[in-house]
Amino acid sequence: MRTTILEHELSKIIDLARQAKRLDGRGLEEMRDFSIEVDKYENAEGSARVMLGQTEVIAGIKMGVDKPYPDSPDEGAISVGAELLPLSHADYESGPPSLDEIELARVVDRGIRESKAIDFSKLCIKEGEACWIAFMDFYAINADGNIFDAGSIAALVAFLNAKKPKLNDKNKIIKGEYDGKLELKRLPLLATFVKVGGKIMVDPTYVEEKASEARYSVATTEDGFMSAMQKGKGAFSFEEINYMIDLAYKVNDEKRKKILKLVKK
Amino acid sequence: MKRIVIPGELVSDERKRLGGNVFVANGKIYSKVLGINDSEDEKAGVVPLEGKYFPQMEDVVIGVVSRAIFAGYNININSFVESFIPRSVMREELKVGDLVSAKVTYVSELREAELGFPRKMFGGEVVEVTPVRTPRLIGKNGSMLDLLKQGTKCDIIIGKNGRVWARNGNTTLLRKVVGFINQNSYKSNLTNSVEAFFKAEGIEVSVIKKEDVNVLKNKIVNESEVLNESEVISNEGESEVLN
Amino acid sequence: MMTEEKIPDYKKEKKRVDGRKMDELRPMSIKVGVLPNADGSAYLEWGQNKVYAAVFGPREALPKHTQNPLKAVMKVVYRMATFSVPERKQPRPNRRDMEISKVLTEALEQVVFTEQFPNTEISVYVEVVDSQAGSRVACLTAASCALADAGIPMKDLVAATGVGKAFGEVIVDLDKHEEDAPDAVDIPIGIMPNSGQVVLLQMDGLLTKEEWAKIIPLGQKACKDIYEVQKNALKEKFVLNEVSEKTVEAGVNDKVEEKTPKVAAKKETKEVKAKKVKK
Repeated sequence: MRTTILEHELSKIIDLARQAKRLDGRGLEEMRDFSIEVDKYENAEGSARVMLGQTEVIAGIKMGVDKPYPDSPDEGAISVGAELLPLSHADYESGPPSLDEIELARVVDRGIRESKAIDFSKLCIKEGEACWIAFMDFYAINADGNIFDAGSIAALVAFLNAKKPKLNDKNKIIKGEYDGKLELKRLPLLATFVKVGGKIMVDPTYVEEKASEARYSVATTEDGFMSAMQKGKGAFSFEEINYMIDLAYKVNDEKRKKILKLVKK
Repeated sequence: MKRIVIPGELVSDERKRLGGNVFVANGKIYSKVLGINDSEDEKAGVVPLEGKYFPQMEDVVIGVVSRAIFAGYNININSFVESFIPRSVMREELKVGDLVSAKVTYVSELREAELGFPRKMFGGEVVEVTPVRTPRLIGKNGSMLDLLKQGTKCDIIIGKNGRVWARNGNTTLLRKVVGFINQNSYKSNLTNSVEAFFKAEGIEVSVIKKEDVNVLKNKIVNESEVLNESEVISNEGESEVLN
Repeated sequence: MMTEEKIPDYKKEKKRVDGRKMDELRPMSIKVGVLPNADGSAYLEWGQNKVYAAVFGPREALPKHTQNPLKAVMKVVYRMATFSVPERKQPRPNRRDMEISKVLTEALEQVVFTEQFPNTEISVYVEVVDSQAGSRVACLTAASCALADAGIPMKDLVAATGVGKAFGEVIVDLDKHEEDAPDAVDIPIGIMPNSGQVVLLQMDGLLTKEEWAKIIPLGQKACKDIYEVQKNALKEKFVLNEVSEKTVEAGVNDKVEEKTPKVAAKKETKEVKAKKVKK
């Protein structure tokens, strides 16, 4: 196992947290600034590049045609994958999906899937025979904490821009031709918190994650719903969880406003 | 004349003495690294602009404990391999993440640095810079280090391995200045620019002139004495981590 | 986006599908030092290809049995994002990924002064996030910049390109249409620009010795032009003049900006044109 040299900052971060302060001067309830590049990767049917502080995450969607699941013959599906690339941090190695990568993918997936943001019946091509599967994969390119939220933003933007390829009469994809967009009915976003030195803070950096004793994420939508929750390591009181949920709605609404502005351009 | 060279680029086709980071092929001298070459130097060499720390004997370094085992501690010194300090040599008990100052007493063929006079460092903050650019932070005869102390009023120890430790004083400003020096390390008249940097912050500092160099030399001799004394006095900075 | 475009008569019109001349490279841009967590890094765009390269090391080689007491062990890992290709790629590395990783490692091993770092490893990760023919040479070109950015001593950089033949003409930097041509010959080649040594060479297709003789100078010239782009990318961060008053204030904020890969838009990139090769 490789160690990084930033461990010596851990006790400093915990000390600061006890005083409700953070290493980069942010407030406990303050998110880092973020920027988005839309549709950068041309082979993808929808893609995004997100910079959240120094965390860089890219996401891309490939639309595929497949047989629907037998228990939902008139519906399509989404499939989400995630990777913490060794590029992104000295601590990450190349190899089969780690527990962290699997959790990342599944939590971001749940946030989108359970919010019913995508009408899966609209992804049906021919009942019982053919449907669309939207494969969304996101990658950490530089890891400075909170791949969850950066991934969630990248995923949302990629889905917002995803186009459906045109099909021939044999339901095979015609390269280079498109027919409409995926269309999202809701805009779910994840908000992730960690507990450091007993205090809760939003949008942790890599060292804040390392210094933390607990982690929690919740996905919220613009119309007041929650579509996913995940507690990582540690323990919380219900009081703390309710606090985080309320704060999640607030920060996610702010994020959503900014995303829509950036994407409209 | 100074210029930036890249690996494989011609440094000189004259018969000059060899400096560092170059190799000879076909009777010519080429750079091994991305760095700066000054054709006016009598030796043909390149000062690297990027890279990890190459341990040298007598260097003062600041290490971080990366692992604690029964026999001792693995210490990260921003080099290619970690160093090891046996428990028997340490006065204090260390844990992962602790800072240690030490002197490189020996460098093996495998580039492993043996650390002598290890001392735990209490409190303070560490600013990291590109290890190969550390000489600029110290300056000729410590002139840059002196400027930093004047301008921030901090206690400062610069580890040759790219770590600056500072305590008491304007550590926020120090972080900024160190970042500035790191970024502009390859430029000329850096000490004057740092003087201007402080001025822009409303702080007057003065660059040590040649005549005062001896004064400076004395100051530095005292520095190394301080380093060898046990830094038992200030435990204030140390904090307990409750799990 | 390349759809079913009409393929011009290469021999007659001396023009390619995308309008390039036979010896012309697609636009390329490189930015180094883009990944703060890596010891060295580069981001490269070449035509539609977009690749990241990150270097970690020299660092202790683990597990211990992989250590070589005489030199550093180099490892290049080549991977592609699932959405980097027209038909979605399975996330798990396939045999093509492994083979490319191997030949890239063997190429870079030749230029790094590995004997200077016994018992260590130097890991190079290259990730293709968008591609359209020539991803491996894009990765090799980017990786050698990333190694220099990490301060690792090398004998030279490696400049790499594809060369070969399509539609009856000998060409440089094949794109997808040309790779799919019935008479396509694709030759990825990597050269140490100052010594001319070839460190990457593969070929598939049917080729005569006469055609090969025409291809070599084309590849050499292209690599020389690519080398210039690499050189500029490495040097552009360092402007050798006195620090001006302005830079004094700018210096502090620059640090954050520097880390974001600001790759020039296609129209601003240096169009790397090779001079016409006399046949």
